[in-house]
Amino acid sequence: MSGVAVFADRLTKRYGDRNAVNAVSLSVPAGSIFGFLGPNGSGKSTTIKMLCGLVHPTSGSAQVAGFDIEKDSDSVRRSIGYMAQGFALYGDLTVSENLEFYARAYGLGRNAEKRKSNVIEIVGIGPYAKVLGGHLSGGWQRRLALAAALIHNPSVVFLDEPTAGIDPVARRDLWDLLFTLTAAGITFFVTTHYMDEAERCSSLAYIYLGDMLVYGSPEEICALPTVTPNGTVRYAVSSNDVMETFRRVHSVPSIREATIFGRDIHVVVDASEPKGKLARDLSVLDDSVAKIPPSLEDAFVALTRASAASQ
Amino acid sequence: MKSAWDVRGFSAVFYKELRQIMRSPITFFLAIGIPIIQLLLLGYAIQTTVEHVPSVMYRGDRGHAAQAFTDAVNASRTFNVVGYVNSREELRAAIVAGKARVGFDIPENFTADLLAGRHPAIGALIDGSDSAVAQIAYGSAIALGGVPLRAVSLAPKFSLEVRPYVLFNPAMRSADFFVPGLIGMILQNMTIMLTSLAIVGERERGTLDQLLVTPIGSAGLMLGKLLPYAIVAGIDFVAILITMRFVFDVQIVGNLALLAFLSAGFLVTALGLGLLISTFAQTQIQAQLMSIFLLLPSVLLSGAVFERSLMPLTMQIVGLFIPLTYYIDILRGIILRGAGVVQLWPSIALMFGYGILVFALASYRFARTTR
Repeated sequence: MSGVAVFADRLTKRYGDRNAVNAVSLSVPAGSIFGFLGPNGSGKSTTIKMLCGLVHPTSGSAQVAGFDIEKDSDSVRRSIGYMAQGFALYGDLTVSENLEFYARAYGLGRNAEKRKSNVIEIVGIGPYAKVLGGHLSGGWQRRLALAAALIHNPSVVFLDEPTAGIDPVARRDLWDLLFTLTAAGITFFVTTHYMDEAERCSSLAYIYLGDMLVYGSPEEICALPTVTPNGTVRYAVSSNDVMETFRRVHSVPSIREATIFGRDIHVVVDASEPKGKLARDLSVLDDSVAKIPPSLEDAFVALTRASAASQ
Repeated sequence: MKSAWDVRGFSAVFYKELRQIMRSPITFFLAIGIPIIQLLLLGYAIQTTVEHVPSVMYRGDRGHAAQAFTDAVNASRTFNVVGYVNSREELRAAIVAGKARVGFDIPENFTADLLAGRHPAIGALIDGSDSAVAQIAYGSAIALGGVPLRAVSLAPKFSLEVRPYVLFNPAMRSADFFVPGLIGMILQNMTIMLTSLAIVGERERGTLDQLLVTPIGSAGLMLGKLLPYAIVAGIDFVAILITMRFVFDVQIVGNLALLAFLSAGFLVTALGLGLLISTFAQTQIQAQLMSIFLLLPSVLLSGAVFERSLMPLTMQIVGLFIPLTYYIDILRGIILRGAGVVQLWPSIALMFGYGILVFALASYRFARTTR
């Protein structure tokens, strides 16, 4: 399989006359974390479900762990782990019983007990082995779900919004765990809405209304011309009255884009516009305008707007 | 693409489901307790054996033939003479007032007319508001007509004796008719209700996708979901049978082993029907509404409560599409008539055929809709 864990070639899913996923092509190297981003309803989950064999693609093809998802779905099933959105295990079974069930479901037989203690150790859920799944905190539920997804020693693991709704500490711990596991050669395919998580991925794809807009490393995506078009500069404008400053933005013709980030406004301005004039136009001090590189969030906002405008 | 007949993962699902049932003792108790309580309530409530119908009597004649008739009415279990009246008007008034359901009217000169061969008639006014009571009273009153003839030994050629002989349920106790019907009905309701929630429950809790990425087969999932409930329903069956035998005193005439085997077949059929519902419903509420939609007609048309041969033909045909119909036939056949495979084979074959069809359909639908 030459180091490629997930390979998709123009993968498409059509529901009626609507394209839920439109010709998505990507290639994820083994042992990396691939971030799959996009607004809700843009086709992230459908793509994952196609790759996991839960949904039939309308056209296109894909290989996961070296196996064709259509022709060899049984082998795909044995090579992948899947962690569904939310808590998708049994709240009325204990941690240990949940894992036993999945060990049986994968037909692990005599290895079941060994694999179970193995994954319990990996995610560190040992102290809670006898606790009911429903009584665990959100963070521990995700760890349990990850343990269940790892029980059969898969080489590729799909995580659908693994950190949605859990606290920041549990979120960071879970990501640290994912990095540890990639060292063992496991590939993670992760969907997320968190930009800080996206920045930790080795490569990213951004999908919008079924179309994959970009694909590459976080640095490559930030450097795209669509994000900062030729002849423009990106500034952060800080202000004590963000709303008042934001209203003034509309009266400055040289400003192409403006987005509020907390107490800052990120603006994309014609390069010909001097920094000092911009500060005067917006009624802010000269030193509260600073040139910045685009963040991933800037990149995705710009890409989404550009795509929406072209449709 | 998974095949509908893939049974892998059966034991995993079976153990999991059994654990989940046992985890909640209240559910387990309800699943066992409710059927027994229902059988007790319904078994005692539904009584159609007509006895002690309150009656009044007007005696226009006190001759020995009239006396013989009066004695016969008093001695019968069907009628209970609550009073004698002095006029025909009072007879009618007693029925209108609801004091009596039947009024016997022995005409003047009855004995003399009978002896003279003039065919006198004893009137019986019957309150027809409850058709079941009225019909029994009607039949019994006619049968009593033979009594004065026998009393008058001078007229043996007019003697007309009706000697009814009732097969299988000699006491004509309604419990013998109803309790086996209730067994079928209660077992069906319990199993369909329980399993209709099985798949849709996983769907609603979001656990279904997590199941589907495993190598568990469609049929494996279906069977694994079904069998734990079949065990619960089996315990129900034994408890209900004991209640029937020792509380309602209904004897099992036929082969108990055959009854148990065929009941297991019915349970699997009913559970399969529940699973089929579960593959259609998107939410648990929908599943429950669909179950109720299915349960009511099956209770009314299967013959569990009402005799099928008395229904209009179209309704009888509708009844043939309900698996409970065949099971009720089997239950009554074995329990009351001592029937065996030889007599019951059409019902047995249709019931099992139905079960296999329902299960295949559920498994196929599941395999198709989830891919």
